[in-house]
Amino acid sequence: MLFLVAAGLQLVFGVQKILNLACGSFYALGAYAGVSAVTWALGHGLPAPLFVVALLAGGLALAVIGPPLERLLRTIDGRDESFQLLLTFALVLMLEDVIRFVWGPAPVQLRGAYLVYGQVTVAGSTVPVYNLFVIAAGGVIALGMGLLLTRTRFGRIVRATAENREVAAALGVDMRRVYRRVFTLGVALGTVGGALVIPATAAVSEMAIEVIVDAFAVVVIGGLGSMRGAFAGALIVGVLKAGAIATWPEVEMLAIYVVVIGVLVLRPAGLFAGATP
Amino acid sequence: MRTTRRQFFTLTGGALAAASLRLDVAPALAQAAPVKLGILAAKAGVLAPVGESGLRGVQWAAERINAAGGILGRKLELVIEEESSPKDTVERFRKLALHDKVDAVSGAISTGVGLALGPVAEEMKTIWLSWDATTQKGVEETMPKPKYSFRSTDNECEAVMASILTGRHWKGKFKTVAGINPDYSYGRDNWAAFLAIMKKYGMDVQVVSELWPKLGATDFTAHVAALAQAKPDLIFSCHWAGDTPIFMKQAHGAGLTKSTKFVLTTGGGVHESLKKEFTPEGAILGYNTFYFEHARASALAREFVRWHQEKFKEWPNYESDHGYFTIVAYKTAVERAARAAGSKWPSQDAIIQALEGVEAESLSGPRRYREDHIMEATFFQGITTHRNKAYDFVTIDPVETMTTRQIQKPSGVGLYDWINGWKV
Repeated sequence: MLFLVAAGLQLVFGVQKILNLACGSFYALGAYAGVSAVTWALGHGLPAPLFVVALLAGGLALAVIGPPLERLLRTIDGRDESFQLLLTFALVLMLEDVIRFVWGPAPVQLRGAYLVYGQVTVAGSTVPVYNLFVIAAGGVIALGMGLLLTRTRFGRIVRATAENREVAAALGVDMRRVYRRVFTLGVALGTVGGALVIPATAAVSEMAIEVIVDAFAVVVIGGLGSMRGAFAGALIVGVLKAGAIATWPEVEMLAIYVVVIGVLVLRPAGLFAGATP
Repeated sequence: MRTTRRQFFTLTGGALAAASLRLDVAPALAQAAPVKLGILAAKAGVLAPVGESGLRGVQWAAERINAAGGILGRKLELVIEEESSPKDTVERFRKLALHDKVDAVSGAISTGVGLALGPVAEEMKTIWLSWDATTQKGVEETMPKPKYSFRSTDNECEAVMASILTGRHWKGKFKTVAGINPDYSYGRDNWAAFLAIMKKYGMDVQVVSELWPKLGATDFTAHVAALAQAKPDLIFSCHWAGDTPIFMKQAHGAGLTKSTKFVLTTGGGVHESLKKEFTPEGAILGYNTFYFEHARASALAREFVRWHQEKFKEWPNYESDHGYFTIVAYKTAVERAARAAGSKWPSQDAIIQALEGVEAESLSGPRRYREDHIMEATFFQGITTHRNKAYDFVTIDPVETMTTRQIQKPSGVGLYDWINGWKV
């Protein structure tokens, strides 16, 4: 799911040149919204195996916060990057308080969904089917994003804008509309990511910060602004973490940052720098 | 709790000297003025639910005391501030002492914060009654003889009790153990204490995995996979926050709860989130110093549990009791000191003297402060069961109790020296 958050970050940066720290908050909001949506839907008679529908709907519905936030961020368009960092970090803190206000400080969990699809035993280890579903969903979304960006008119406009926004604007592209749509798509990637992960965990208000740190590691490894980079970076970070925990738990964080430093030194722009967004 | 508790800094005193001077000059006025108590309650992050719980206990105590006329006729007034990082919390403590001129401060959960607050309370000459924060560095006490700081029970009490129960219930029934504990001193010290006690009991255990996730982690899939690979007979964990149900849920998802024994020393801190669907029966589960459904609970405890459930729709945990006790201990000490002082409001030194060894009725029975300012209380742990009709989460049956006389190192003795001195 790290991929989805990082992909949202990449997309927004690639097109709008905004380094959006609040991507972590979208993830957290999506998680809470997923819990609320599924709890509500199950309470209204939705059969348990269909809970993912409510889950995804909850995550997607939250993308409505995209356009107003994009409008807010537009006020600092073209100004120094430190303004972006300050404003988006302020958003992180505010959204964290919104979460605490709406859902309270205690962790919120989704009841009875995680093991609805049962477990399978693969090569001696037991895995909930839901985990496989999430992996598949990540792959489908990655593929969908790829098709969207390379095969559709919207994708071409987005890539053109990312490449050179002045020329794109000169050719008649409505920048505001593209920005609004791209930003909302970035938000949706984050909120859906948060919603998808919630059956296996619990939503806590500080999860935003946690995921931002990981997402930045992913982005640095993959290369800022690159969608393929987000995918590869998320895989590298995930596998490194799991490998470190299984063999030498003390170096879990260290391993990731060693790779980050290695990439920064050897290939400062990231593994997939310069690729299409 | 236990881990992130406490720290501080300091400034110059003088404010309290001025306050006591004012009492001398105008005793009649001072009698009518409220007693101000500063409260430090965590409101954000992984500590927030625990801070909220402590605050509820304090507010309930204050409401009851005020309804009964206050302390020596003076009402209690709470000045509530937030416990956050050690540095910020120290500044709020100073603000409470210098600006609000509080009579005492109650609160703090994290030992990280407590370590900082201890020296500052001494410097500010302000009584500090900790909820759960200790002034321990690892298992060592850093302030053996404080004057103004009154600390909670030691961090490792729960691990000691759970280890004793492990020996009692499962000696000879397991061989390989794995530990998964939050990566800070509380997690590391509890794991070390567990292993030391296993050794003392002659249980020749073999450690197959030691995992240290970050406090408040939300993803344990890699840890759970490592545990599944190590195939331990027993898993020991002192998780106590919102990460506990996440770990159990993912462990259950990976099939670990089928045959592995679990020792969850402190999971009772979030007992309502330990749902039956993923928390197994037959695990050792600790509730620290308060179990909400104790069959032999006092009328006071029953009244509190009922109030808490009606008001918050939740069953209370131990932090409420820690908070409650600090307030009633203060009241008891003031009244005791006043009797010696001819019914006048006693001096701060007299209150401190009266707090040493003070005993008061907490929600979990009698509690007291040792002469070295460490709390003495009763701990509750037991074996998890699904056989309760009223709840969707696990409870314990049987409920076992041990007092700090049994599971807390005595004043001035090192933890491991004390354990090695046990007769088993």
